[in-house]
Amino acid sequence: MEYHNTLAIAVLIPLVSFTILALFGHRIGKPFAGYVATAAIGLSCVLATQVLVGWVSADDEVRRQLIDNAYESRVTWADFGVDAIQVHVKLDSLTVLMFFMVTFVSFWIHFFSLGYMEGHSDEVDGTSKYHRFFAYLSLFCFSMLGLVVSSSLLFLFIFWELVGLCSYLLIGFYFDKKFASNAAMKAFIVNRVGDVGFLLGVMLVFLHLGTFDLDQAAARFATQFHNGTGLFASDFTLFGYGLATLMGIGLFCGAMGKSAQFPLHVWLPDAMAGPTPVSALIHAATMVAAGVSLVARIFRLLTPEAQMFIAVIGCITLTITALIAIVQTDIKKVLAYSTLSQLGYMIFGMGVGAWVAALFHLMTHAFFKALLFLGSGQVIEGCHHEQDIRKMGGLRRKMPVTCWTFFIGVLAIAGFGIPTLHFGLGGYFSKDEILAVAYERAFNWPPTIEGESDAGHAASNAPSPSTESADATMAASQVRLISHPETPVARGAILADATGASTTEHEEHAGPTGTEQKLRIAAAMPVLPAWMYWLPIIIAYVTPFYMMRCWWLTFCGKPRDEHVYEHAHENWKMWLPLVVLAGGTIFCSFFVFRNLIHDAAGVLADATAVVAIDGEAASIAEAGDGAMMTLSHGPGRSPHDALTWQVGFAWVIGMFIAWLIYKDGLALAERIKRACGPVPRWLEQKLYFDHIYDNVFVVGTVSIVAPIANAIDKFIVDGAANATAFVTRVSAFFTGRQLDMPVRKGDIGLVDWIVNAIAKLTMLLGSWIRRPQSGRIRTYIALTAGTAAVALLCVLFSDVIVAVCEQIKAGFNQLLAGDSVVAAQSATRLGD
Amino acid sequence: MDNLLETLAFYIMAGFAAGSAVGVVVSTNIIRTAVFLLGTLGSVAGLYFLLDANLIAAIQLIVYAGGTLILIIFGVMLTSKSPWVRFDATRGQIIVACLVAAMMFAGLCTLLLPGEWSGGPVLEQSPRVKDVGEALLTDYLVPFEVASVLLLVVMIGAAYLARPEK
Amino acid sequence: MAVGLNHYLILAAFIFSLGILCMTIKRNAIGILIGVELVLNAANINLIAFSKFTDGGVAPAGQLAAVFVILIAAAEAAIAIAIFMNFYNSFQTVDVDRGDELRG
Repeated sequence: MEYHNTLAIAVLIPLVSFTILALFGHRIGKPFAGYVATAAIGLSCVLATQVLVGWVSADDEVRRQLIDNAYESRVTWADFGVDAIQVHVKLDSLTVLMFFMVTFVSFWIHFFSLGYMEGHSDEVDGTSKYHRFFAYLSLFCFSMLGLVVSSSLLFLFIFWELVGLCSYLLIGFYFDKKFASNAAMKAFIVNRVGDVGFLLGVMLVFLHLGTFDLDQAAARFATQFHNGTGLFASDFTLFGYGLATLMGIGLFCGAMGKSAQFPLHVWLPDAMAGPTPVSALIHAATMVAAGVSLVARIFRLLTPEAQMFIAVIGCITLTITALIAIVQTDIKKVLAYSTLSQLGYMIFGMGVGAWVAALFHLMTHAFFKALLFLGSGQVIEGCHHEQDIRKMGGLRRKMPVTCWTFFIGVLAIAGFGIPTLHFGLGGYFSKDEILAVAYERAFNWPPTIEGESDAGHAASNAPSPSTESADATMAASQVRLISHPETPVARGAILADATGASTTEHEEHAGPTGTEQKLRIAAAMPVLPAWMYWLPIIIAYVTPFYMMRCWWLTFCGKPRDEHVYEHAHENWKMWLPLVVLAGGTIFCSFFVFRNLIHDAAGVLADATAVVAIDGEAASIAEAGDGAMMTLSHGPGRSPHDALTWQVGFAWVIGMFIAWLIYKDGLALAERIKRACGPVPRWLEQKLYFDHIYDNVFVVGTVSIVAPIANAIDKFIVDGAANATAFVTRVSAFFTGRQLDMPVRKGDIGLVDWIVNAIAKLTMLLGSWIRRPQSGRIRTYIALTAGTAAVALLCVLFSDVIVAVCEQIKAGFNQLLAGDSVVAAQSATRLGD
Repeated sequence: MDNLLETLAFYIMAGFAAGSAVGVVVSTNIIRTAVFLLGTLGSVAGLYFLLDANLIAAIQLIVYAGGTLILIIFGVMLTSKSPWVRFDATRGQIIVACLVAAMMFAGLCTLLLPGEWSGGPVLEQSPRVKDVGEALLTDYLVPFEVASVLLLVVMIGAAYLARPEK
Repeated sequence: MAVGLNHYLILAAFIFSLGILCMTIKRNAIGILIGVELVLNAANINLIAFSKFTDGGVAPAGQLAAVFVILIAAAEAAIAIAIFMNFYNSFQTVDVDRGDELRG
């Protein structure tokens, strides 16, 4: 079977499961509803694995054929004249890989959920919602898989919203608990903020590129670049950004919401209110990954300025959230903030152009973060719903499997690896590659040409960033630094070495003019500010620290709460997924995944933003028919060697410091905390983001909107009454003294008369106003038809109306002029 | 000659349709209104024949005249204590309503009359029943199926709405 | 004078206006329904006439639209009659002016 069909079926299986569970779930009952959902995603996972294996073993020719077939099988979904919206399964290495990753992790999360829900209450509002939980999980998997295979922005958006809905439903699973329903709403609303930007971006794409299809849009985007038409012909700028940049930023806003980037990161820690498997599903494998994969998909629609924006956002996010993670005491919150920080790394990687590395980090992160979350779920479940790591400790004797699988996760996120030996876990390679690219962008920029004699000449002729003119800015937006698609030979060298095995086989045979032009463009590219390199480096030391702290406090040392310790136990249904995911964490560190992503990067040939792969020296190479630039390193060297003394041993140092502080319990940590003054409190309050948002948006909205609503109520609804009262009061002021003197007994005074008259007037007014609201259908029909007729006549006779207005205006002017003439005449006469 | 016949047929049927429509509006008795509606529907069906829309004309006669109108008559019978019950609008209401309708008519005429309706070449041969049927089951299959579902929903919904209160 | 598109359009506009008028002045609920049928018929005349006189190569499109209009009119009539029966059960009459419980 063709792979796109297999994938389409694999997408639809969870939907079938959802339908079954939604319709008959309550009949299927407690354990079996879970089995249905788990079996469905398991089947999807088998299909995805089959596709993955087939894809890896296929050579370039076969892959191209498969991609063509997938494209040929497209279906017209809607046709409205301008452009038919066509749908097909987007088949490329990234899809295959993401698909496998999502189904695999989801399957084990489902499996874990079976055990987790055994011990957890599934009663919400008095009735069992067990089937509903698994129905939501199935729907979530369907939406996420749909998102992965979407070829068009419109479908991307549809599945995007579906994912958002599912996360809302799942976070708020215990909706009878106030904090859970609040957290669900928070997640939903914060995501809407991002989605507005996304929607605007999609609209701009459709408006200016005339298509929703990602590939087509990217091609047209590139064409418009070179021709300076469309988006780039527009001289619309806002704060110095062009429309194209705003489009990219708008699209990125969606990712900001889903991937919880600053300043929309506030929802993710609160989302811990959902059941722990949900936390794992949302925060590890799927939903947060959606944001990063979105950026990967729209990468070709980004301008360098938009890319810089992304880098800045990522950098801020990874820094502040890592700092907050240090002081968290809830085991799930620590993981939530570490997730935020790692997402920041990915977004930052996208921002600096480390497309491959960012996606590789996404893959590895999915595995080890799912592992960590499920491990925390096991701990929480075993400890009788205790989430505070200060009350744990010593659990390794009670839960050995959880302890050591968790430790593997900690090592992976800490970036465990041995520099120079190319040995390590996933996080080591992926994070370091992002940092290496950032290094190149910060200190080795602009790139020089590799192996060409006139390179220096071209580079020296390049305008320097400081002297860039408007023209140079335009040129800057045309920089094309492209990763180098692997040759089959290189791909054969899977597992071979940490550097990606792809760096020396550049075919350099493009015209010098093209190279020269690109060099000039690259030279005009902004250099990454140094702080945007150093902050991620520092955080690379912080990450191992807080993860080690979390692990040590939970599993090592002496038990700090006997009750919790006594209660601790493990359940095979819950630790089996941990073991599998630990295996996955180790497995995915090998380069089968990275090479696939690298292969997918081939489509970036016409990207307008900076794309770079791992690199020692920035250089330019021309490969194949697409002229490409690549940040590559010389033979025999790797980015990890380059950064060995900066981050190579970060994991050792970070973990060692954590061990030093926490090896004897919390006493030393308390003292350090006291010594640090107010800083820990700021961090515990999450740097007051929630407070700020509360004060700015909630209180602000209330204080702005409430008076307006109040005013409408007061002045328009109560207007007649208030006006009456006012007039009465004013008249009373005068008449009370002078007029309110009844001449004879029984005669009412003027005041009373006025008051009565006003009351009558008000009643008249009221009855007049309420008359259209008769509740009678015929009145409504007459009003509707009458309005339509009048509107029609107005439109038809707009010329006449305008002409009449003009006439009146002219007449009025003439009258005024005549007056002034008369006045002038009389004036002159007087003067005489 | 052919042309003359056609013209004649149009004016007869159009006049009958318009006259019946006026009758629908003017008559105060609901049964008479329904009968006038039958006149309008029938003559409009005749116009469809003139316009070479044979299938639509047949459907008009079968569904409208045969089905909907019967439904309406049933509705009258089920909801009237006596068929001679009258509720008339007041004179003011009638005047306003006539004004609205006149405005609507005037607006539509102004809109439609000077229109240059050259949407494309007039077909040599009008679509036959076969063509319509084929289009219905190929290009328009989805709306066709949706319509069938709609009818099912309507059937159930109407039965549910009209069931006697318990 | 040969019968052209405009003749049909004027007829349709006339029937349409009469339908509006009928909806507005009938106090009998079924009278309103009859008005709606007139309006729908007027729309159908337009569809068929345009289909005949200016059909840009998409042969039966106008006729098909008319088919669906008729279908929806039938569905609407069935539902409307059911609603009127409920109305009758509640108010013992089909005088729509009696159903003014939503008045302001």
